[in-house]
Amino acid sequence: MIIRDARLRARLSQAELGARVGRDRAQIARWESDAVQPAFETLVELVEACGFELDFVLRPLEPARTRDSRIAKNLVRSPQDRVRKLLRGVRG
Amino acid sequence: MAGAARTRFDPYAVLKALDRHRVTYIVIGAFARVIQGSEELTRGIDIVPSTRPENLRRIKEALGDLNAQREDGRELRFDEHSLEPVIALRTDAGELKIVPEPEGTRGYDDLRRAATREPLGQGVRPSVASLGDLARMLGARGREIDLENLRMLRRVIALERSRGLSWER
Repeated sequence: MIIRDARLRARLSQAELGARVGRDRAQIARWESDAVQPAFETLVELVEACGFELDFVLRPLEPARTRDSRIAKNLVRSPQDRVRKLLRGVRG
Repeated sequence: MAGAARTRFDPYAVLKALDRHRVTYIVIGAFARVIQGSEELTRGIDIVPSTRPENLRRIKEALGDLNAQREDGRELRFDEHSLEPVIALRTDAGELKIVPEPEGTRGYDDLRRAATREPLGQGVRPSVASLGDLARMLGARGREIDLENLRMLRRVIALERSRGLSWER
């Protein structure tokens, strides 16, 4: 997804991005569809060809199951209750 | 922004003022994401208005009710010739941003197709942008600060799908 995001933000077609990194359009399409994963160095090269750089930040890991459970609990609430919860959070 | 931080955030007052003047708009941004199930904190509302002249006139009237002032202190003008990409306002009920054409979209007519009316209580039922459109807007902004919210929104979409709910309604 990151390759597609970078390419679209750079307003490039798959063929144009391919030309910048010396690959054909079909290869770009395969990477974007996650059918094939590029090597890390290639990913960096693709993103840079779009005018961006990859940035990494270390974050504390919230186990996916915990996060999903939290979101699922929220989804059971009505929109009205979600707003109430927000207001309790911002008003203290 | 210090003044805005001291203002009690009252989304109902903002939405009721817009409804009272029959403003046509769609709620976007963090407040919309919260309504749609994401967990975030915000003290403001972002809206995408219809940019028809009659609607802009109505917005101006609603903003008068809310004592809205531009955050940059400039004069508040509202007509189709003076619309800016983002008009950030302070009101008596919190922050209000008017965004005629959010990044990644073509504005009101683009968003209204998938927007849904969400009952928030107190008789308020604003049109709220769909989860898909909210993710599209966050993605188009491409800001580091939005990544966590985008990640959360994508999980909301995935969980909604897995629950068998139609999130594009």
